[in-house]
Amino acid sequence: MALINRDSKLSEIILHDPSTITVLDRFGIALGVGDTTIEEACTQHNIDVNFFVTILNTFINENYFPQQALEQFEVSEIVEYLSKTNSYYEHYILPNIERHFSFLISRAPSHNNNIIIMKQFFDEMKNELLQRINDDRDRLFPEVISNGKTLTTISEPSHTETETYTIEDKIDDLINMIVMHLKGDYDHNLGYAVIVAIFSLKKDIKQNNRIRRRILLPIYNSLTPQDE
Amino acid sequence: MSNSRVIILTHDTLEAIGLKYVLSDVFAINAHIADDGYFSNFNLSIEPHLFFIDKATLVANLAFFLPRKSKIIVLTAGNEVIEDIKTLNTSISESDIINALSQLLETNHNEEKPSTTLSSREIEVLRLIALGKINKEIAQELNISINTVLTHRKNLTAKLGIKSVSGLSFYAMMNGIV
Repeated sequence: MALINRDSKLSEIILHDPSTITVLDRFGIALGVGDTTIEEACTQHNIDVNFFVTILNTFINENYFPQQALEQFEVSEIVEYLSKTNSYYEHYILPNIERHFSFLISRAPSHNNNIIIMKQFFDEMKNELLQRINDDRDRLFPEVISNGKTLTTISEPSHTETETYTIEDKIDDLINMIVMHLKGDYDHNLGYAVIVAIFSLKKDIKQNNRIRRRILLPIYNSLTPQDE
Repeated sequence: MSNSRVIILTHDTLEAIGLKYVLSDVFAINAHIADDGYFSNFNLSIEPHLFFIDKATLVANLAFFLPRKSKIIVLTAGNEVIEDIKTLNTSISESDIINALSQLLETNHNEEKPSTTLSSREIEVLRLIALGKINKEIAQELNISINTVLTHRKNLTAKLGIKSVSGLSFYAMMNGIV
């Protein structure tokens, strides 16, 4: 999709990419958008239009990352957005995948243990993600907020972000495991539900990670004295 | 079929461009349009999988193409049959061309189907990874170099689509390897 701008209609964005519904939700915009444009919706909900457009564009286009534009925003704005995405993972999408998985296991014949093992792998990834979310809430976000003002001074990214790669890697592994190696009898509809839910987590977390890695962690690292 | 090892060699440039476009758009194959200089610069180490050529090119370079008979598809302007050689009639409708191409590419594809099963050595490496061994320990245990261990790991990831250690361990559990 071409880049969206303040005159784009919300309905067209959603029809093109339904996964944006959850992003709009983080800004307080629910379905039933009529033919409102972005600018109108932002005025109504008291949202920073530039920030909103930038976030939507980075979400829709995987290769789009307007570093400079993002660096101009208030730290608190970015932290607030990331907190909402975290809360979406924690309260909606992880429980959702889990529910589908449990159905899948309960409907599968008892001798099909490969789904149970996949679920264990999912649990491991889930716990790692929940741990990161807790750490964001208790440590990273408060520290960035209390020290950062605007995002104009940014140092080179350091290597502390390796952990964000492993969560993405494990989601990829989980997807490949289901796509390539699922076997035995199982309910096909439920298998589909599980994989679709994991795909939507993957897409969301990829965007979240790009913002963390390239905007938030560099600020954090420029605030904390480095050990070397 | 590996990309860019499909060569288009025809005097009709527009035909070449059209074919390149269809191959890329419909079959995700990235073909290379070559010209007459192709034969003088031919590099044996990168042997193409497939050639789309016109009849004039075939006739002018018989010595080159006869040993590669199974790899060529001759573009013809009508329903012409050339013995032992696959042809593609370029004056049929667009959807017929796509159908014909998909059949031609399928027979070509089946001849080089990659193996998806693990070798016994790869299974051994996978078992040790799942047991929590690091590369150095795996190398010692199997009496191979660390580089060989890395190659096995790379192949495991390519074949299974799984790169994290815990993902590989769960795969090993699923398949009774540990």
